[in-house]
Amino acid sequence: MSFSTTLYNTFFRRNSMFVGTIFAGAFAFGIGFDVGVTSFFDRWNRGKQWQDIRHKYVEAAEEE
Amino acid sequence: MAFNGLKKAVTLTPCVRTLPSGVPAAPLLNLAVRAPADPHAHGHGASGPRSTPTPRWAGGVSRTSSGLASKSYITLTSTTPSTARLLHTSVAVKDAPQVPDFSHYRANDNDSNRAFSYFMVGTLGLISASAAKSTVAEFLKTMSASADVLALAKVEIDLATIPEGKNVIVKWRGKPVFIRHRTQEEIDEARETKWQSLRDPESDEQRVKKPEWLIMLGVCTHLGCVPIGESGDFGGWFCPCHGSHYDISGRARKGPAPLNLEIPAYEFNDAEGKVIIG
Repeated sequence: MSFSTTLYNTFFRRNSMFVGTIFAGAFAFGIGFDVGVTSFFDRWNRGKQWQDIRHKYVEAAEEE
Repeated sequence: MAFNGLKKAVTLTPCVRTLPSGVPAAPLLNLAVRAPADPHAHGHGASGPRSTPTPRWAGGVSRTSSGLASKSYITLTSTTPSTARLLHTSVAVKDAPQVPDFSHYRANDNDSNRAFSYFMVGTLGLISASAAKSTVAEFLKTMSASADVLALAKVEIDLATIPEGKNVIVKWRGKPVFIRHRTQEEIDEARETKWQSLRDPESDEQRVKKPEWLIMLGVCTHLGCVPIGESGDFGGWFCPCHGSHYDISGRARKGPAPLNLEIPAYEFNDAEGKVIIG
């Protein structure tokens, strides 16, 4: 049995399985998309955000 | 194919039949019809019989050597069988004499083709479901309180200014909040109480995050008075309105109060020695 036939019989044959896979995939896709976009944003703006420059100011305030 | 040899260009008149007399057949033509009355005709022909003379081939009175003669032609049906002639005389050509070969365009494997189609449908559904969920979530997020409102709704208290065994009452969202710095004896007393048999059974561990700091709303659960600290039969709080007694953990022990004093959401900031209520 080929891969496509196995795929069809596993996921596409029953509508409950098809829709359930879509919803579960949408959940995982939403999380993955958020994580990916956030990491890209942090990498793109590296050195400009408060979390990157916080150590300069917070440590200095404690030393004084 | 056999007709090709007989194909011959013929110019056909608009009338497709000719009477035996040679007159083109125009069956419904009425030569005596009156023109319709037209008030805007500007004198181009009055309403009445047609002014154009009837053509001679259509009959009428004529002068002959023996006098006037009137002929009228009668439309006779043709003696030969008249067949309707079509407006073209060429042989009909079949558009598609044979079905073309589509095998080049057909998928090699129907199973993989079907799986791919369902996969694309499912992927579109996945993206649509994700977009719909994101839309609803972002819309609901606009209804929640913004960050500045949440920041204003918090109260920060420096715990170092509260000595052991003292009460502090702060105002938080319009309500008093009791902060009690409990001594070790009070902690022991609160923990040793048989709380399972109380009216609102709650252990002291459930009510405090750090045993020396008891933080709760100073509103009596009976009718909303503000209890008085360090009084009552159980060494805790006493409500003067209807005589409810609370112990050192803020639990209702005596009187009409049905519930323990409420615990607000709070968290400790250990680095700065503060507690943030809200």
